[in-house]
Amino acid sequence: MKKQLYIFKMKKFLLSVLMMIVFLPASTLAQTYSISGTITDTHNNPLPHVNVILTGTGLGAASDINGHYKIENVKPGKYTIVFSAIGYKKLKIEDVTVDKPVTLNVILKEEIIKAEEIIVTASKYEQKKSDLPVSVEIIKGTNLTERNYFNMEDALRYVPGVNMTDDQISIRGSGGYSRGAGARALLAIDGLPFYTGDTGEIVWEMIPVTEIQRVEIIKGAASSMYGSSAIGGVINSITRDITNYPQTRVNGFYGVYDKPYYSQWDWSGERRPFNGLTLSHSNTFGKFGFNISFSRLENSGYRQNDYSKKYIGFLKAVYKFTPKSSLMLLANTFNKRADTFIYWKDSQNALRPPDRNLGEKIETNRYLFGLVFKDVISDKVFMNVKASYYHNNWEDNSIQNNVSTSGLYRGEIQINSSLTNNLFLITGVEGISSNVNSSIFGNPSSYTVAGYAQLDISFNFPLKLSLGFRYDYTRLDTLKGSDALSPKLGLNYKLLKNLILRSSLSTGFRAPTLAEAFTSTSTYGITVKPNPNLRSESNLTFEVGINYDLPRLVNFDVAAFHNEYYDMIEPGIDPTDGFAVFDNVVRARIQGFEFNTVIQIIPDMLDWRLSYTYLWARDLDMNKALKYRPRHLFYSTLDFTISNFTFGVDFRYWSRVDEIDEELVDLGIVPDGDLRVPVYVTDLRASYNLISLGLPLQFYLNAKNIFNYNYVELIGNLKPIRNFSLGFNLVL
Amino acid sequence: MRKILLLFIPFILLIACEDHGIVPLPPDTTTGFGGKITFIGEWPDSIKRTHLVVFKDPLESAEDFNILNLKFLSFEIPFGTGVYYYSSKDSSFIPATGTFEPGVYHYVAVVQQATEIISLNRKDWWVAGVYYNPGDTTKPGTLVIPENTFVRDIDIICDFDNPPPQPPGGN
Repeated sequence: MKKQLYIFKMKKFLLSVLMMIVFLPASTLAQTYSISGTITDTHNNPLPHVNVILTGTGLGAASDINGHYKIENVKPGKYTIVFSAIGYKKLKIEDVTVDKPVTLNVILKEEIIKAEEIIVTASKYEQKKSDLPVSVEIIKGTNLTERNYFNMEDALRYVPGVNMTDDQISIRGSGGYSRGAGARALLAIDGLPFYTGDTGEIVWEMIPVTEIQRVEIIKGAASSMYGSSAIGGVINSITRDITNYPQTRVNGFYGVYDKPYYSQWDWSGERRPFNGLTLSHSNTFGKFGFNISFSRLENSGYRQNDYSKKYIGFLKAVYKFTPKSSLMLLANTFNKRADTFIYWKDSQNALRPPDRNLGEKIETNRYLFGLVFKDVISDKVFMNVKASYYHNNWEDNSIQNNVSTSGLYRGEIQINSSLTNNLFLITGVEGISSNVNSSIFGNPSSYTVAGYAQLDISFNFPLKLSLGFRYDYTRLDTLKGSDALSPKLGLNYKLLKNLILRSSLSTGFRAPTLAEAFTSTSTYGITVKPNPNLRSESNLTFEVGINYDLPRLVNFDVAAFHNEYYDMIEPGIDPTDGFAVFDNVVRARIQGFEFNTVIQIIPDMLDWRLSYTYLWARDLDMNKALKYRPRHLFYSTLDFTISNFTFGVDFRYWSRVDEIDEELVDLGIVPDGDLRVPVYVTDLRASYNLISLGLPLQFYLNAKNIFNYNYVELIGNLKPIRNFSLGFNLVL
Repeated sequence: MRKILLLFIPFILLIACEDHGIVPLPPDTTTGFGGKITFIGEWPDSIKRTHLVVFKDPLESAEDFNILNLKFLSFEIPFGTGVYYYSSKDSSFIPATGTFEPGVYHYVAVVQQATEIISLNRKDWWVAGVYYNPGDTTKPGTLVIPENTFVRDIDIICDFDNPPPQPPGGN
């Protein structure tokens, strides 16, 4: 009986256990839920690879390429959820009640100081900024749109160590003002060099600012990798990534120039408007993805005869043959119809041109087509093939009816090889050809062939050593060909975890442009004649720098540099006939130091960027300062962020330049042209992001040159007076 | 450290508020004139000299081309020039003092010569371009120079393929 009772109890127990086994999981599942949602940045871009952790549970997930995440099997209760990703502020949400499936969409804000910024420009492959032997600056693309900038050039005026003279860039004193003939820095868009075939000038306004993801600026000679023009540095504009989902952006701004400070300058009696509108779309269909945009910019001008209207088209299309190989097409078109303001009438009429120049106009049509083929040949070998064509045409309505058309073809094959874990080799060959058909420069052509190699060695100390060289052979039309060898040596040594020492010794060169060698024209009362003996200019750059970083508190960077320039090409007067000619006339030395810091006064809320550059730029032959080089550059940017509101102050100081184009003043060509002052410019900005309200819309309010300070960068050219603008960015 | 840095901001703003940069200079009270000369077409190889000239009275006869009537003779304009900016404030052969008298002048022109040395013989010269008053190219323009005023934009176009009517007395 007892045994029967035992068996019965045993059966009952086993049945209960069986029942539990069968039904418990079902009941448990019925009592768990999921937490899911989408993670975006403040610009409504989905963020992939964000870690989502349910603290104290061991549960978690990572967001996919569309920013979606999902955590399943969450029991009912209250939880703390943490969202984290590199480069973004960690977000902790407490007391999330789970008693049903929860949808939680979040926005992550970018960290003000990123731990590791990736640079692709210095050595044509991805490197950590902290591993580089040279000084590098980065401008985020959002900085351009938030400030309602017309073009990249405006943003460069706030880059440490960089100053502009009108549209010509000077990196640590590399450039003066050559009226469009040549540039001592190389501009690239997604790694494709971007200068005209005739004058070799940079056309900043051609790149649509809304398409820029970031701009990398390499300071110092980079000819060992990029060849001619990179004598002072490289500016590489990296365009936005193509999205995996349909995304449409509308960006626009409208603004007005205030009245001039002096009533006699008020030539129009009105506040002159300016505006810009960009429509862009991005999407991916299987293996094919694209970004396309169209911009229209119109500026009525604060100066008389300074109206302009520009249309910019942009296409970036990528086809992925396999996960390891792809082909990118880049197309950038530009049309501009503008009045021509060369210099003021006089200081009493600083916003008017000479009467004779009223009605002068120019029309410009430019387009760039580029192809980039990328192929991961093996785990250790990567190939990059680039080809581009850059067409330029401009025509003015002057009596002489100047017209110029040029084409520049470029091809490059680059192979990166990881020889061992500690050895990385970059090799490449490049060919460039250009032809010109011009009423000013004639019909010359030129070509360049080049080869380069760089070996990056990583030691365990930890020291990184970079050795490289490039050989260029250039021939300008009928002139005798010339060659240039550009070696470089770079060191990066981490003294402590947050203390990095860097140093580089590099060389640069710049071949004369067709314009400099073959110009035959008369302008400004000066007749310019060709120079068949023009040679390349070259330089030797040395830099030593140190960077100290205390995360979320402060970052200090100090650098000292020394540049020797040989055979600098400058326009001069031939004493035998009085004609102007471009010649290798200047032996120059540019020395200085630079100090940059970012201080987080209130972490994640108030930060302050400061930079100071001292430049000693001398013409050694004449023992005087080089033209258009300020001795002191100081920049200050204050950013205050609270919730979805940001407020900022940008301040810029350049000391008065010592030397200018005195001959244009002496000849009476630019009346009162010797008037120049130090530059003090203060800009205010505010923005509000409505994304927290469910609207993917940001507003930007800008007040530039708020003290209506009057200054020139180039003689007889007053820079923009006080102006106000309101902009927006809508992401759908 | 942070407080010191924060105090730095109003200091910078103070500097920026106080100063408005470039100040217009007083108007030019030099009595004189200036402008631009534009040359169109190929320069004839025979040309040896090019000058800007201003005559007080109209050139109605060969006799009007005389040293007493000639009130301005510029230094030489370089051969092959396309655009040339000039000012009466620059040095000139006539007047040698550089000061220009106010008044009304009836003939302003760019003249050229085929002889190596400068000559004031009318037959040695021909006119490459004449100043016209705005909107009237039927007759040479009149240049009015008030006292203590610098008159700008006295521009002349020299089209070698379409030379202007020559004053009396030439070849």
